[in-house]
Amino acid sequence: MSLVFQSLVLGVLMGGLYALLAAGLTLYFGVMRVVMIAHAAFLVLAAYLAWAFTVGTGLDPMLSLVVTVPLFFAVGVGVQRLLVARLRPATMTMMSVLLTFAVALAVEGALGLVFTGTHRRLPLSYAGARLELFGASVALVKLIAFGLAVVTLAGLHVLLKVTRFGQALRATMQHREAARLLGVDTDRVAGYGFGLGLATAAVGGTALALDATIYPSLHWAWIGPLMAIIVVGGLGSVGGAAIAALLLGVGQNLLQLPLGTTWAQTFFYAALFVTLILRPQGFFGGRLAQRF
Amino acid sequence: MTGLRVEGLTKSYGGVRAVDDATVTFQHGRINALIGPNGSGKTTFFNCVTGMVKPDAGTVTYHGRDITGRPAHKIAHAGIGRSFQLCRVFPRLTAVENLLAAVRPGSVLRALAPARRKSDVDRAMALLTRVGIEHLAEVEARDLSYGQQKLLELAGVLMAEPDTILLDEPAGGVNPALVERIGELVRSLNAEGRTFLIVEHNMDVVMSLSDHVVVFDRGRPIASGPPDAVRADPLVLAAYLGG
Amino acid sequence: MKAVGLVVLAAFLVAFPSLASDPFVLSVGVVIASYAVLATGWNFVGGFTGYISLGHAAYSGLGGYATGLLILRAGLNPWVALVVGALVVAVLAVPVGIAALRVRGASFVIVSIAVVLVLLLVFQSWGSVTGGSDGLRVPRPFDADVLRPEQHQRFFHLHAVLLGVMLLCWWVIDRSRFGMGLKAIREDEDKARSLGVPTVRYKLAAFVVSAFFTALGGGLYALWFGFLDPIFQFSILVGSNMVLMSLLGGVRSLFGPLVGAVVVGYATEFSKAQYGDTQLHLVAMGVLLAVVVLFLPDGIIPALRGLVARLRPGQASIREVTQEELVRR
Repeated sequence: MSLVFQSLVLGVLMGGLYALLAAGLTLYFGVMRVVMIAHAAFLVLAAYLAWAFTVGTGLDPMLSLVVTVPLFFAVGVGVQRLLVARLRPATMTMMSVLLTFAVALAVEGALGLVFTGTHRRLPLSYAGARLELFGASVALVKLIAFGLAVVTLAGLHVLLKVTRFGQALRATMQHREAARLLGVDTDRVAGYGFGLGLATAAVGGTALALDATIYPSLHWAWIGPLMAIIVVGGLGSVGGAAIAALLLGVGQNLLQLPLGTTWAQTFFYAALFVTLILRPQGFFGGRLAQRF
Repeated sequence: MTGLRVEGLTKSYGGVRAVDDATVTFQHGRINALIGPNGSGKTTFFNCVTGMVKPDAGTVTYHGRDITGRPAHKIAHAGIGRSFQLCRVFPRLTAVENLLAAVRPGSVLRALAPARRKSDVDRAMALLTRVGIEHLAEVEARDLSYGQQKLLELAGVLMAEPDTILLDEPAGGVNPALVERIGELVRSLNAEGRTFLIVEHNMDVVMSLSDHVVVFDRGRPIASGPPDAVRADPLVLAAYLGG
Repeated sequence: MKAVGLVVLAAFLVAFPSLASDPFVLSVGVVIASYAVLATGWNFVGGFTGYISLGHAAYSGLGGYATGLLILRAGLNPWVALVVGALVVAVLAVPVGIAALRVRGASFVIVSIAVVLVLLLVFQSWGSVTGGSDGLRVPRPFDADVLRPEQHQRFFHLHAVLLGVMLLCWWVIDRSRFGMGLKAIREDEDKARSLGVPTVRYKLAAFVVSAFFTALGGGLYALWFGFLDPIFQFSILVGSNMVLMSLLGGVRSLFGPLVGAVVVGYATEFSKAQYGDTQLHLVAMGVLLAVVVLFLPDGIIPALRGLVARLRPGQASIREVTQEELVRR
């Protein structure tokens, strides 16, 4: 029982990180109808930057966010402006997948060139620290990662709901043409949407680096689950992605008990295929899914 | 029971009833028009009838056969053809290939037979000639002008040999001369026995072309009858003037 | 013109092994031939229907494993195992296709990737049957007294024959009613449905044919290479190579994937031989794919054809006239 509870807590913590990353993917999809395969590659890139920062300076990896978040925001704007926006609208969805896939390959290759394929782990003074949480023993780093995710998601929520920019962004996501008629500069907003999405990858990568061994090809292990999450949640639905992230994260962690880590991974794909058979448009809104 | 009958058709999108319990009869063998303000559910109605989307409720029968929610290609095989709003052709296929794509393959073996069979190509060329673009037969559809694409789309619909044809805004976005030509085509095709159901905003076209008009408002018919009678109907005027 | 090209190509394929200066060049030839087979197999679904599968390594990998396992566990003759294995993969592709082809565009790509990732997990974990991460040694189909160069030579010709059969099938479909329906699906799926094309059945048929040929390619490679490791068999990179090669050559052209395979395959093998197996090839592949997607989405062959047409006087007529008309409308 306590083992199950332990898994449940770990699942929620994991799900929080998934939800943050899925939020980024939803942003890209919302503003440009683009499925950004390179998201996970940038996640790993951020993790490497956090690692290099800490190894180089001896400071806490969290401080690397001061650099990586603005940097990733700028890169995101650049990717949208210089690459994605060049695609012909007619073939946008399909070709953008290939394009961002190409970006993912280039990022992975560059990581391999710069950092080599050696597995890396952050040297942290508090790496082994554990906390008691409702009777479950949880590594401090997992809690910090979860906290980072929650804070970022909350910030994102406020940004989207309260600010003028958030309004423009949501309008663009819902109906690009209508937003343009209302005077929203949708091209710029789309660029910023990409920037924001990539900024979540910066935060997520740092959170990931706290707790995981990293290597350049790690992003493949993330793409599958993330893609499953946004399909189950329904493409383009922020809330749906968050719910799906939590449910799948918990499900995966619970299944690890009877099945072991590897087989538990297949849970994501099983969920993906069940979704496609039963409800291709996803379970939590996002009626766009089938068309894209 | 000949022709198309629609009873209690309903389709909602996220709480909005695009088509709301619509019961419509059309005059078989005539030119029917479907008019109504923007957003009154005309295109959704088309999509439900032709199997592009599954209706939530209601029945669609064609010549007495229930075709509700059948796959779109089965409905096409049953004899209902359609065009799309804003015109849709296969951009990177040539004009003649656009038509050949509508040939029914028949058995599995026949599906592997060459698409450019003489009899099919002859039929396609005859249709291209009829709409007046036979000189562009080997040009890719994306290189045609908008008006030519519209004519090509109509020829493609005809290639599938439908006896009822649904046209979504055939006069939309084309110059007056072409509107005239499309109108003549519709009339002559109707004279050969094809039933038409036309969604159109151009009232001149509707009034001059149609035998029977159905007016949609908020997802259901509010009036129907001969064009002149419908034009005078106060309910219709209210719907159009935002009453 | 086309016939001459075909004869030259066939002559080259027959003669290449005797022209090759040494076994290494010969083995590179086999690798490129294998790429060409896989890319052409991919193009049965990618080129005709426009559904871009990044996960076709699933079918080459399954084909390889099916062949190997049928030889090892069922004691089948290698060539029988190759064909039976590909048939098994084709049957497996039916449910996968039914699920995957329910969604379009990006969702389909996601699913295709997911299939590879899940197979990688299964084949790594299910060690008792598949050999797991240790890999699977596939016995060679030829006797031990057939030496290395001779092996390469035979496998080169086997690949060439398979490629020929596939190109013939592609050509037959390309000009058939079935093919016309598939191309209509690629151009506008809803429009195709409304004209009476049975899109679900057509897409599935193309998908299964593609999986079958890709599996044959994977099986043949397994017999030649003699060793299967899930990491390399169920690799996204293998699948993206097929996409890159096909796109580069031109997915709507019969010989597009072949041309792409020769270009990419030669470049890859050359740089591997010259600089070793570094991460640089990943970067290069990414950049090349991005360039193709951004600037050459129709591929080399149509681009060259367009260039030739423009250089030839009097050929430019129709397109320019209609361009004007487009502006005037």
